Amino acid sequence: MNSKLTPELAALAAELALGILEGEELAAALRHTIVNPEFSAEVQEWRERLDPLGEGFADALPPDSWGAINARLDAEAAANAIGRLRFWRGAAMVAGVAAAGLAGIILFGPTVMMNDAARSVPQQATAVLPVAVAQLAGTKETLLVARIGPEPEYLDIRAIDLPKTPLAPELWVIPSDGVPRSLGLITPDGTTKVRLPESLQPFVVDGSVLAVSLEEAEGAPHAAPSRAPIATGRISSI
Amino acid sequence: MTKSDDAATARRDELSALLGRVAQGDRRALALVYEMTSAKLFGVCLRISRDRDAAEDILQDIYVKVWRRADHFNCDRASPITWLCAIARNTSIDWVRKHGASRLGLIEATERLGMDICSPLEVVMADANRAKIFDCLEALPANQRRAIQLAFYEGTSHSELAEIMQVPLGTTKSWIRRGLNRLRGCLQDE
Repeated sequence: MNSKLTPELAALAAELALGILEGEELAAALRHTIVNPEFSAEVQEWRERLDPLGEGFADALPPDSWGAINARLDAEAAANAIGRLRFWRGAAMVAGVAAAGLAGIILFGPTVMMNDAARSVPQQATAVLPVAVAQLAGTKETLLVARIGPEPEYLDIRAIDLPKTPLAPELWVIPSDGVPRSLGLITPDGTTKVRLPESLQPFVVDGSVLAVSLEEAEGAPHAAPSRAPIATGRISSI
Repeated sequence: MTKSDDAATARRDELSALLGRVAQGDRRALALVYEMTSAKLFGVCLRISRDRDAAEDILQDIYVKVWRRADHFNCDRASPITWLCAIARNTSIDWVRKHGASRLGLIEATERLGMDICSPLEVVMADANRAKIFDCLEALPANQRRAIQLAFYEGTSHSELAEIMQVPLGTTKSWIRRGLNRLRGCLQDE
């Protein structure tokens, strides 16, 4: 057992692995898996304990679904190649238009703009501004605000109103090439401090788009989004 | 080692190798995985969803997930069939929680619980560690064992469990929690 967890949380982790949770408890447990690494490690330990019981399931005569599965994978591969990229490029453009309309609303800052030459920044130093913000708006009431800097390796993102779902919000940055790169899962309520991997820091710059899509928590950060973004916003420095 | 142990080990190795090929994007390998495992995984979806049409949809979702996630399979940590069953069970439970599966027949189903669970001895003889969870479950007090079996094999939620076992929700919750604690203790006990 993980000693950092309260007994209540440790029990919740076991129940999530067993699959018995429903409703609010299930949603709360899924949120913990996103924001609390000790909790998700505990869930994983329980899965490893319980999963071998799966061998006790009896067989049933299966349908001949291989053709349908194969066709779905074909369709998915085609979508990966063209549709998704086009969709997300479209999303990036829409975000640009939306950002223009929302430019006046900036919830973070103002922080003094620093242009400290002594600051150690990556090679694209001219592009990496000390403080930048993005407001991510979606269709209904979806809203998030993000602040990048003053530490270049961190981004704070606050979810103000995300849809209730067992899926987890995943944050993406879409630079000018239109290809989304995952910045990992964020909490659906409250603020997440996202540590930007060094390889992605050059992309999180003025003009790039931040987007959030709802994904399955398992396997994150994903190579590519599997669903349309629920919110997008362009990064602009202040 | 008996002949059936040999066969089980060979099958396990073959499935592990196939999942390795699926991870490399080999669609034919996935077709073979489907051939070898769809009866088992369909058993999982049908049992938990209790709805043949739904189970067929869930089965497709499962193999699409296997295609996407095969690179996460680690044969040192799990047997391939355990890994596949876990995806099948989790996908089926997600579906049931989302769609509120018809729980008609759930109570009757519990009457035959234990009857259509295949003999664990047959399946996991070759691996003492995996067999141990079955022994540990067997060693639990009856109510705790039944509650955990219903949750695991029928995909029941806390509230359904209380209804089936005809006791207050707090009672089944404490059976589940105490049962899981004992299971952990038993598994750690070398």
